[in-house]
Amino acid sequence: MGDSLISNNIRTLRFLNGEMTQKDLAKKVGVTRQTIVAIENAKYSPSLEVAFKIAHVFNVPLEEVFSYDVDDNN
Amino acid sequence: MSFTEKNTIASLVNFSLILIFYLVRMFQMFQNDTFEPSNVFRLWGIVIFLAVVVTIGAIIFTHIASATFTFWKTGEKEEIDNLEDERDKLINLRGVQATYMVSSFGSLLAMLTFVVGQPPLVMFSLLIFIGVFAQIVGDVTRLTLYRGGVLYG
Repeated sequence: MGDSLISNNIRTLRFLNGEMTQKDLAKKVGVTRQTIVAIENAKYSPSLEVAFKIAHVFNVPLEEVFSYDVDDNN
Repeated sequence: MSFTEKNTIASLVNFSLILIFYLVRMFQMFQNDTFEPSNVFRLWGIVIFLAVVVTIGAIIFTHIASATFTFWKTGEKEEIDNLEDERDKLINLRGVQATYMVSSFGSLLAMLTFVVGQPPLVMFSLLIFIGVFAQIVGDVTRLTLYRGGVLYG
């Protein structure tokens, strides 16, 4: 299974928010810890709703959490 | 490991054992020349019972064993935060798709036994085999996606 074109800064944002654990983030967003792990490792692209919830938890705009790596050649 | 992943493993183990049991019994019937409707129907009953009741039992047992192990190892209660989230639903959907695909091709294959002049009992026996095999393919697909990741599209 290939990695997603969507990259994220969740690990960094967790660190900047007092070393928030994946479990705490998962609880606040309403998903399982395994889903947070998969998102962090670019193994799963979350729905818009979950993406916005993650941004809301860190109190930052969505673009600061996720970015889309567009390949101009395609 | 998430709640749904444990369920998938329990289901995979159970259906793999059922498939082995089914194939061994079928082989014995062919060897002893007892491939008759009454014996085959009894075997179907056993397979369906194992597929429904034992799967539920296996899932319950898996969670009890997992909770006991966690408590023994860490001294804390195992926490089940969310039973199923959007990723679990997507993975389950892919698993169901794989199951349906195998079932569809398998059913077609089973129908072809009529073309080669086999009795209906052979077709129905093949259908049961395909049903169990399709479930295993679905479970393997789910586990692969849990481990390797799942993306839209």
